[in-house]
Amino acid sequence: MTDPKNVLHLDHLTMQFGGVVAVNDLTMDINEGEIVALIGPNGAGKTTAFNAVTGIYAPTNGEISFHGTPIVRNHPCGKMRKLYAGTNADLYKDRVLRPTPDQITRLGIARTFQNIRLFSGMTVFENVLTARHLRRTSNFITAGLHLNGKEEALMRERSLALLDTVGLADVRDEMAVSLPYGRQRLLEIIRALATDPTLLLLDEPAAGMNPQETMELGQFIRQIKKDFNLTVFIIEHHMDLVMNISDRIYVIEFGRQIAEGTPAQVQNDPAVIAAYLGGDAE
Amino acid sequence: MSALIVFAFYAAVFIAEQKLPPTSMLFTVLKKGAVYALVAVSMNLLNGFTGIFSLGQAGFMLVGAYTYAILTIPVAARASVYQYFNGGMIQFTVPFVVALLLAGCAAAVFAWLIGLPVLRLKSDYLAIATLGFAEITRAIFQWNQLGPLTNGSNMLRLFPIFNDFNIKDASGTVAVYLSTMMPMLIAGLCIALLVLLINSTYGRALRAIKDNEIAAEAMGINLASHKQLAFCVSSFFTGIAGAMLAMYQTSVQAKSFTSAMTYEILLIVVIGGVGSVTGSCLSSFLFVACSEWWLRFLDEKQFINGFEVPLLRNGFRLVVFSIIIMIVVLFFRRGIMGTKELPDLFKRRRAKEATPHD
Repeated sequence: MTDPKNVLHLDHLTMQFGGVVAVNDLTMDINEGEIVALIGPNGAGKTTAFNAVTGIYAPTNGEISFHGTPIVRNHPCGKMRKLYAGTNADLYKDRVLRPTPDQITRLGIARTFQNIRLFSGMTVFENVLTARHLRRTSNFITAGLHLNGKEEALMRERSLALLDTVGLADVRDEMAVSLPYGRQRLLEIIRALATDPTLLLLDEPAAGMNPQETMELGQFIRQIKKDFNLTVFIIEHHMDLVMNISDRIYVIEFGRQIAEGTPAQVQNDPAVIAAYLGGDAE
Repeated sequence: MSALIVFAFYAAVFIAEQKLPPTSMLFTVLKKGAVYALVAVSMNLLNGFTGIFSLGQAGFMLVGAYTYAILTIPVAARASVYQYFNGGMIQFTVPFVVALLLAGCAAAVFAWLIGLPVLRLKSDYLAIATLGFAEITRAIFQWNQLGPLTNGSNMLRLFPIFNDFNIKDASGTVAVYLSTMMPMLIAGLCIALLVLLINSTYGRALRAIKDNEIAAEAMGINLASHKQLAFCVSSFFTGIAGAMLAMYQTSVQAKSFTSAMTYEILLIVVIGGVGSVTGSCLSSFLFVACSEWWLRFLDEKQFINGFEVPLLRNGFRLVVFSIIIMIVVLFFRRGIMGTKELPDLFKRRRAKEATPHD
């Protein structure tokens, strides 16, 4: 991409499982400092799109660029060549790029999960500390012999500072899974921040939260966006939260984009209303 | 506090070794227990901390034991050891410490090669694949074509053993007994290194993989390289333990490294607590003591006031032993120690002492 402010660019992304096209020809842009939401009815392919960005799935066709550099690229091959039901199959014949999730996280894309995935056998503090592992400069011998004292101290200091920002520092020695649900969500976000991301992907961060907690979460997301110079890409079902915090919204249904724009534009889009309330979209 | 306990234990072993007759069963138990403790802790690194269920321990011990034995048999003794293979193909020896390290390295190299295809598998499949590797290794080391190197299915012997650690004076009598102390020190040093690794940032990454692979990967932990690392480090120390087992047994034969040996180690890990180094150490000494020493009397006819105690005959020991293991597994579901370590025991006691005053 030529736009220097562009952080994430999805180019004709298609994700097909067997005969099912979960994400169909999705093209979207996320620019620096934005909070962009991806919404849609259940089963629309939101999380699948997330998983393609974070490397858990390799897309069937399409390209993903991060800060202007292509990081994921694939075209239908093997059995999929015959099965492929999407479009633009010939656009991405260049070198296939299929990084693993850890390589993508190393580039600066961190995520949380729809169903909380904390490290269950660890304390709150260790959960965050583990996320600093990828920015290590020690190898297993220097670390194994504890010769990296300075680095270890920095890791601990940084993790503690992060926990402090959300008031989890006083429970840092509790087991992570013993926290109440809302705080587990916060911890997961903090753990993602500990990997030093520039782009944060939140998969339904308000799921299971009450309205009060949801409102606080909205403020919290704004706060960390400012404090950590983040760009945020969010999937959410709580419409008040989405409308409140997002700069732009993409709406998908059956894997296909049906609308894009500011919250006000999207709210009045007939196609979106039809998708959510049922009925014909003209 | 923990350091004090460990130090006191070593001091007690040292004093006991000078005072008690060297034939005492206590020393047999301590020597074999030290070897098993090292294997159990390195198996725990895989099973308890990384969540890789590997059953290849006997194979890696075999590699370690053979590497050590082949490299340390004195050149003069080779003709008699390799009597069917014209003295064998290797005609040099390396110092004891080098041989021990090379034993570990050889096992680690094997582990790396096997890990490439096998670590893609999960849980039971991985266990079966590693078990298969151990069986294949055992067969290959007995292969007659490799005789000049491995002595085929014949024994390797006459290499330095634990008794050679004893310091003798000019007249040939033993001045300082070290034949139990040295293996305990070697095992202790290796276990200390493993504990350091477990408590480092790499140890945390391994535990993260065990807890949640998907989250660990999303946090930037490369699954393949970290699993491979755990597998190789574990095998390195298993190889060293294999070399120590060779020293303990005074001879090596491939056919004794059966899968039953792996199951013994697995049993020790489970009884001690999956994910506890302290538990593995404790239970390996208890296990060896029970199987070699404390229950021996059950195998012989006993008379109390001329009355013959029923049931006691050869093999009854194993029946009682199995029952004890079942009781332990039933009442200590998570092992003797659970996931606790030695320092945790004092932490909790201190916390308990502190609460009434609050």
